[in-house]
Amino acid sequence: MALAEPDELGAPAGALMPQSGPCLAMRLLRRPCAVIGLILLAVILFMAASANWLYPDDPLDMVALPFLWPGDDPAFPLGTDMLGRDLIAGIFHGARVSLAIGVVATFVSLLIGVGIGLLAGYHGKRLDQGLMRATELFQTIPPFLFVLAVVAILQPSIPAIVLAIGITSWPGLARIVRAETLKLRQSEFVEALIGMGLPSWRIILFHILPGTLAPIIVSASMMVATAILTESSLAFLGLGDPNVISWGGMVGAGREVLRTDWYVATLPGIAILVAVLALNLLGDGLNDALDAKQHQ
Amino acid sequence: MPRLSRRSAVSRLALASLLAPLGPELVLAATTPRRGGTLTAIVQPEPVVLTAAVNTAAPTQFVSGNVFDGLVDYAFDLSLRPSLATSWEVAPDGKTITFHLRQGVLWHDGQPFTSADVKWSLENVWQTIHPRNKSIYKNVETVDVPDEHTVVLRLKAPSLAIMSTLNASGATILPRHLYEGTDILTNPYNNKPIGTGPFVFKEWKKGEYILLERNPHYWDQDKPYLDKLIFKVVPDAAARAAALEKGEAQYAILSPVPLREAERLGKLPQLRIETRGYEWLSPVFYLDFNIDNPYLKDVKVRQALAHAIDLQAIAKIVWYGFAVPAISPVPSTVPFFHNPDVPRYAFDPARAETLLDEAGLKRGANGVRFKLTHDFLPYGDDFKRTGDYLKQALKRVGIEVDIRAQDTASFIKRVYADRDFDVSSSWNGAFPDPQMGITRIYWSGWVGSGTPWTNASGYKNPLVDDLIDQAAISPDAKARAELFRKFQTVVQTDLPTLPLAELRFFTLHAANLRDLTQQGDQVYASVKNAWFDTSAE
Repeated sequence: MALAEPDELGAPAGALMPQSGPCLAMRLLRRPCAVIGLILLAVILFMAASANWLYPDDPLDMVALPFLWPGDDPAFPLGTDMLGRDLIAGIFHGARVSLAIGVVATFVSLLIGVGIGLLAGYHGKRLDQGLMRATELFQTIPPFLFVLAVVAILQPSIPAIVLAIGITSWPGLARIVRAETLKLRQSEFVEALIGMGLPSWRIILFHILPGTLAPIIVSASMMVATAILTESSLAFLGLGDPNVISWGGMVGAGREVLRTDWYVATLPGIAILVAVLALNLLGDGLNDALDAKQHQ
Repeated sequence: MPRLSRRSAVSRLALASLLAPLGPELVLAATTPRRGGTLTAIVQPEPVVLTAAVNTAAPTQFVSGNVFDGLVDYAFDLSLRPSLATSWEVAPDGKTITFHLRQGVLWHDGQPFTSADVKWSLENVWQTIHPRNKSIYKNVETVDVPDEHTVVLRLKAPSLAIMSTLNASGATILPRHLYEGTDILTNPYNNKPIGTGPFVFKEWKKGEYILLERNPHYWDQDKPYLDKLIFKVVPDAAARAAALEKGEAQYAILSPVPLREAERLGKLPQLRIETRGYEWLSPVFYLDFNIDNPYLKDVKVRQALAHAIDLQAIAKIVWYGFAVPAISPVPSTVPFFHNPDVPRYAFDPARAETLLDEAGLKRGANGVRFKLTHDFLPYGDDFKRTGDYLKQALKRVGIEVDIRAQDTASFIKRVYADRDFDVSSSWNGAFPDPQMGITRIYWSGWVGSGTPWTNASGYKNPLVDDLIDQAAISPDAKARAELFRKFQTVVQTDLPTLPLAELRFFTLHAANLRDLTQQGDQVYASVKNAWFDTSAE
């Protein structure tokens, strides 16, 4: 990346990024994949935002006969599950929970991953050695098993799940950020900033972090998708929070009736598929749009 | 309520017919048993040992029941039927019980079966290491064996519950000549059992199968009819369903597939669904209220909870009809002790709200009166669904329920040792005698002991303890039944535990496997009466 041109030295932090504001949006909109991703994401955001308004009642409430198939009763367009809970209300409310878990868990792992990556990359030497050994330690543990262990110890609840996903999904990000930081650390403008006597935290926060944003943004969109999938897997294994409705929990509950009433597990499964697909398409699009070489 | 859709109306009818006794086609088919054939049964999970004398886990009893005979077995109405004992007498004072043993019975290794085997098993297994029998047999002072085919139990105090433990899995008789002087728990014959039963142990390939073969010297006429009996280990529920559907296995017990799947499989022409054969086990599903909880310590609150929960919905919807609403902790499948005249708590949310108001627990600004946690027994989706139902049912009367999921070890520790819970769910086998499975839920001595499936609620009532203790040593069957009926009335009034449903476990078996289910303890008994009907082929 052609990030650190010497003449940009004194420029405001934002200007260090070659891609900014409207340009990025335009480049994103030129990619059909990204557009599809954005539209799907908008639909899911709409579902999450409108759940309380369209389906104000508790989605866990038993409102009708069990096993109404989609179309059996116009009042329940997607049918009801084994306890007579409205599936469409569940999917709308599930969007809130799944998205919230995805976003918050990603935020947690961004904090850890970016923090460690920046520190290790900037300071190098023994701190780098120590932090990277710790990162490798985390990388050697299969992430899902790690999440399972954490949730089993903390008891399944939304905060525990968010924490578990957050503290297990950062190592990859930390390595990427470290690599980017190492590159920037050796660039002339950073040498110059050090020469000017700027404190390290300012250099890291205002001059190096903006330079690493592109891979962070791309990773983050993928991490949200992974977090949603991980929560679904947990709920599928019965380790979700039984007090809230999530897509994974709905799939898990519907698993036992897969042979007889496949729609109960399939409909929320499609919701997961759409959400993950949307985030992946968007991530790919962002990756392309942010890749400086491609648009030159 | 929305209108009843046609599909669900149809599936309800189908369910009703499914659960009805076996269809008429069985009656019309051939009725003379035919020799031969191999029966493949599914055992899940794999047993850890093959002798029920040292392990009362269901898979062990399932296999062991085919290798060993009991002194008696139990009919559907739980009356005693002769097996290794041909007759028996209980003295009027209850302090002497005499068994007359069948003559000419051989152990699988050719040694004769005698009264010495019974005496040795009682003294060394039933009285000492058997978890259920220890307390029931503790009053047996001496065992006399006047001859090779007579056993006389002499008791300090009567213990009529003994008469409900005498089948092959309740009181397994071990061959004394192979066990005497050894460490019973580690004796190698536990894993290659030598019994007197209809099938002889041949091979156990760990993780795959257990093979039994027909006992040619069996005492019961030309039984068994089957040549071989294979127990296959199939850990995955979907694989079990597939194996049964394809005919690779013909017999599986203890609700081997998800309930909804069972409805589908039961409709297939090649399979039958059977809910009989569990009478001896008589499973009861219940809620324990922690009466040390500041809200639940008030009996009015516990009664309000009972009024807020629709037992019909739990049986019909949550358990897909594989349960019936419970009336008292002693289920109706144990008619001799069951008391139908206990206080009942009809589903009546309005009454529940009144009771809660009377208890001084008014709804707050947010409509919530108070909060409770619910720990469900982590034995599968049915228990979790019950939790989901409870949360909604109690929410309607203003009680917010926080459901907690955990693994079995944590559940047992939390509920039975730490007692760090508000409402928990669990099930017990009631067995033919309340002393075997039910009284321990209420007896105060078990509180906080950490022993699973005992008194979790913390209920301590001297009257109940006294009724239990009196019944344990009452020599008169009728007087005992009266004591247990009174016991049920008291505990259903105090309601430390709310019986929710009598679970109806089911067996799936091949349609052409005839005469399989013959007795009330069938699931833990042998398949000696079963035979393959090939007349249709």
